[in-house]
Amino acid sequence: MSFEESFLNELKSVFGEKIVESKISKRRIFLKVSPEHYYEVIQFLVKEKGLYHLETMTATELKDYIEIIAHLGLSTSVSVKTAVDKNSPTIISLCNLIPGAEFYEREIMDLMGVKFEGHPNPKRLVLPQDWPTDVHPLRKSFETRHNQPLRDVGGE
Amino acid sequence: MSTFDIPIGPQHPALPEPLLLKLEVEGETVVGVDFDVSYMHRGIEKLLETKTYFQGLPLVERICGICNAAHGLCYTLNVEKLYDKEIPPRAQYLRVIVEELSRIHSHLLWLGVAAFEIGFNTMFMYTWRDREHVMDMLEAITGNRVTTEYSQIGGVRRDITPELAEKLLKTMDVVEERTKYYIKVALTEPTIAKRTQGVGYLSPEDAKATCSVGPVIRASGIKFDVRADDPYAAHDEVPFNVITYDSCDVFGRVVVRAQELLECVNMIRYALKNLPSGPFRIKLPMKPNAGEALTRVEAPRGELLHYTLCEGTPKPYRYKVRTPTLANLGALRVMLTSKGRYVVNIGDVPIIYGSIDPCICCTARVQFIDVKKGKTWTWTLDEIRGMSKKVKA
Repeated sequence: MSFEESFLNELKSVFGEKIVESKISKRRIFLKVSPEHYYEVIQFLVKEKGLYHLETMTATELKDYIEIIAHLGLSTSVSVKTAVDKNSPTIISLCNLIPGAEFYEREIMDLMGVKFEGHPNPKRLVLPQDWPTDVHPLRKSFETRHNQPLRDVGGE
Repeated sequence: MSTFDIPIGPQHPALPEPLLLKLEVEGETVVGVDFDVSYMHRGIEKLLETKTYFQGLPLVERICGICNAAHGLCYTLNVEKLYDKEIPPRAQYLRVIVEELSRIHSHLLWLGVAAFEIGFNTMFMYTWRDREHVMDMLEAITGNRVTTEYSQIGGVRRDITPELAEKLLKTMDVVEERTKYYIKVALTEPTIAKRTQGVGYLSPEDAKATCSVGPVIRASGIKFDVRADDPYAAHDEVPFNVITYDSCDVFGRVVVRAQELLECVNMIRYALKNLPSGPFRIKLPMKPNAGEALTRVEAPRGELLHYTLCEGTPKPYRYKVRTPTLANLGALRVMLTSKGRYVVNIGDVPIIYGSIDPCICCTARVQFIDVKKGKTWTWTLDEIRGMSKKVKA
């Protein structure tokens, strides 16, 4: 049995039904959990399995929900996914557990409009300061193909 | 004593990178810091969703000029994971050669800039002169000094000739000799020691907690290198040592980078000597299989991550890039606000900031072309084409 399989089996024996979906490939494990168990599973991975390194966090807008992925790992990368509601996306912040999560969560706040509960410093990170607060560029509804006529600015 | 706020930047606090450091100082001492990295947001992740995987490669190469080889490599490896096809081993070796060459040029560049920050201009001139040898080799192999686009989906763009390999080996001798000299200078020169030892302290615990990457975490004594931990391309066959140093300060970061140069030289020699024969590229169809892929590459600045979600169409549904500088920002804040023995003076801010080898342009990738009264837009390729036609007419 490969390392990935035994790792996944161990997780399944601890969390059972809480792991909704799983997928493995070489040095990659993808898990899906419900938002209630998201913090619990990551806490187990960080505290018990020593996966202190948070590679990054990804947010993707899918058809019915927004998917948040926390990619953890040193040699084997474990990606924990969860789904949040599209209209009022809110999820618990990982900053208490992993201080390094701060910048990744702020990036998602800007670009996808997800709120992180308990974030110590929920300020804007990557968007300009005069950007409208309700526009999130990585949402699929954000239109890039928008014809805008050239403005005449005067001069020669 | 009351505190005082000093803004440094965004016009180039150390390297020519647009970062605003808002320092809170008490006399000469830094007590708090806040960053603003929002000056250079280019919209690349969003733009990639509108391009096919093959069209995306030139764009990805332009995320960062200096680590373009790492970005191109990470992107191609990531997309290839969606195909289930074996990539020729010769291509994987050639990728390692170009990746390590680009690491040499990046580290030499950084050593020069770091020397410049501490007022050691001779070293800056020396390293940048030697970097030109490497740039010439990059140009000879790939056809371009920067934005090489050498790694392609399915292999590499062109093969290496025996004459070129010979020339590369000779260049490596020059680089090795010069690097040994720089290591000697770095370890013995009092100018460097005085300005870097005990400056920008990052304890191993903090390095782990802030999830820092690359030479920053290795200079805090933690053995974390993606090439060794999660080998990609031909890194599982090309042997090398992971360099660590336990001084946890700017000095350690100088030593780690300088010693990594020697490892790069040896890896290039090994790869050239054991270069497998066979094709250097295979053709892959436009449409990858549906699925998701996650790839990590050790860029010169640290772990670089690309993630994609594909729905079986030629265009990605989502493409995510995480650059090393974003991962090191948390560590930078810890370094700048150390207390007690390692307290930071204003004069040390540029070298500490420089020590993470920052690249803000690749950190903030999603700038939009105009913002006016709440209206936002980007120009599409067709619109730009339309405009160029108008100009021609």
